[in-house]
Amino acid sequence: MKRHPVRHALLWLMAGLLLAVWAFPVLWALLTSFKSERDVLAYPPVWRFAPTLDNYREVLFGGSSILPNLWSSLVVSFSTTLLTMLFAVPAAYALARLNYPGKRASGFYVLATQMLPPMGLIIPYYLVLQKIGGLDSYSGLTAIYLSFSLPFAIWLMVSYFEDIPFEMEEAALLDRAGRMRTLWYIILPQVRGGIAVTTIFVFLNAWNEFLFAVVLGGNKVRPVTVAMFNFISVEQTQWARLAAGAMLAMAPVILIGLFAQRHIVKGLTVGAVKGGGRR
Amino acid sequence: MAISMTAPAATGAGPVTLARQEQRFAVALLAPALLLLLLTTTIPLVYLAWNSLQRIDLGMPWLSGFAGLGNYAKMGSDPRFWSSLWLTAVYTASTVALQVVIGLSLALLVLQIPKGQGVLRIAAILPIVLAPVVVGLFWRTLVLAPDFGLVDLVTRSAGLASHNWLGDPQLALISVIAIHTWQWTPFAFLVMLATLATLPPDVYEAARLDRARPWQRFVYITLPLIRPAIVMVVIMRTMTALSAFAAIFAATGGGPGSSTEILNLYAYRTSFSELNVGYGASLAMVLMGITLAVSWLMFRLRKAR
Repeated sequence: MKRHPVRHALLWLMAGLLLAVWAFPVLWALLTSFKSERDVLAYPPVWRFAPTLDNYREVLFGGSSILPNLWSSLVVSFSTTLLTMLFAVPAAYALARLNYPGKRASGFYVLATQMLPPMGLIIPYYLVLQKIGGLDSYSGLTAIYLSFSLPFAIWLMVSYFEDIPFEMEEAALLDRAGRMRTLWYIILPQVRGGIAVTTIFVFLNAWNEFLFAVVLGGNKVRPVTVAMFNFISVEQTQWARLAAGAMLAMAPVILIGLFAQRHIVKGLTVGAVKGGGRR
Repeated sequence: MAISMTAPAATGAGPVTLARQEQRFAVALLAPALLLLLLTTTIPLVYLAWNSLQRIDLGMPWLSGFAGLGNYAKMGSDPRFWSSLWLTAVYTASTVALQVVIGLSLALLVLQIPKGQGVLRIAAILPIVLAPVVVGLFWRTLVLAPDFGLVDLVTRSAGLASHNWLGDPQLALISVIAIHTWQWTPFAFLVMLATLATLPPDVYEAARLDRARPWQRFVYITLPLIRPAIVMVVIMRTMTALSAFAAIFAATGGGPGSSTEILNLYAYRTSFSELNVGYGASLAMVLMGITLAVSWLMFRLRKAR
């Protein structure tokens, strides 16, 4: 391809613009989180201001501390991720590599459950949990989180299992290694990367979930996505505190995004090209 | 003994038992997950269908009872339902089209930059990993708030006056579409970028020797090659758009009035704000029917060519 300097400069300009559009709101929120409430509402906006940690102090240790909410999010996300992986990895292996009657049907069933709109699930969960006193509980929220994380994880893992060559497990089986031992010692090590990516995605999705959390949560179990509304009321919006709270709430996913960048892109594309993935 | 573990059972005693052993192993691995899926998705859906035939008014419980198809009949004369259906179509079609077009154009552009794609990829990851509810709140306050938001700063300094971006019905709809597009275009962009990077260079070499113009190369070579990826992106983004909730909830709550109330939001508000859970359940059933029909149609289209 011919290389013109002007053309290159233009390309970079466009690319820079798109970078700005995506990164700027987040950077702006980061900046806002260090401003005093007075600086936030200055017009024109002030670029040079005395940075303060007051917002973070207030959000963490003040009257409307989000520490309990971060804990809620952590418990729900962690238990969802653990249970999902425990059930999804063996199931995905069977779907990807084993022959059994009803294979197509079971694969189709998993795919169909992945297409279900969350609004269709939240209503029955609410009615049932209300009856048995399961609202505002970790188990209730974890159960409904499994409804979207399990199909997603199974399909993503299937695409990783399909990528590994058959020869090794055949050799192991001919050595009479036993199916369980073959799966554990030969197959799983080869999909370590896939397990890591799937774990990341399941955790991200659970951490970011909002609809189920806002309906089924309460005073005890109140994930951090719901707690963001602490800083918004009809009378006023506490901009700087909201920004600080959002930064803390999103710190884990932003860090995962930055460090696992390559894996995330691979997970997205594997899912997209082969048919898995929800978000 | 030459036995293929993967082929279906052949004749002879050995392979048959091995095949049976494989089946038993598959069932043992699969059954727990399928059972869990049955419990967490399918049985709740049956209960949803049952509840869509009930009148359940949590505000006035004494009115509750069996309603038959009453809830569904009610939709016919419910203008808010038809408006939400229309908004769902507009919201889904526009966000998906924008994501694919912008995402693909950007990917084609960025592919020509030899260095620095990594930085762009990081910027693209940011919106994807953020919780939609946080995105909605960011936009509601920092980006779209009258007078102090970023967009108003731009329009005011350009002499275009301040606008109530989320308070005006028309602008609010455009705003929630913009928010959704902002958050999910990076997904289309990243998938397209990865797909374009895998295209065989020799095809383009041949085209260049045949003096094909750039747009001819795009239409006759690139598009057919990346068609599966485009279709997949369209399917996945359509599903997301149909059940979009948190960002709209945070930015407008479905308002002003019901001007950004897509069917998903309407089902939520009916069930959990107005506590009319029976009618809400029937709305959710309609949404589910639409979602499954659309995905079935798209998978059919995917296989068609």
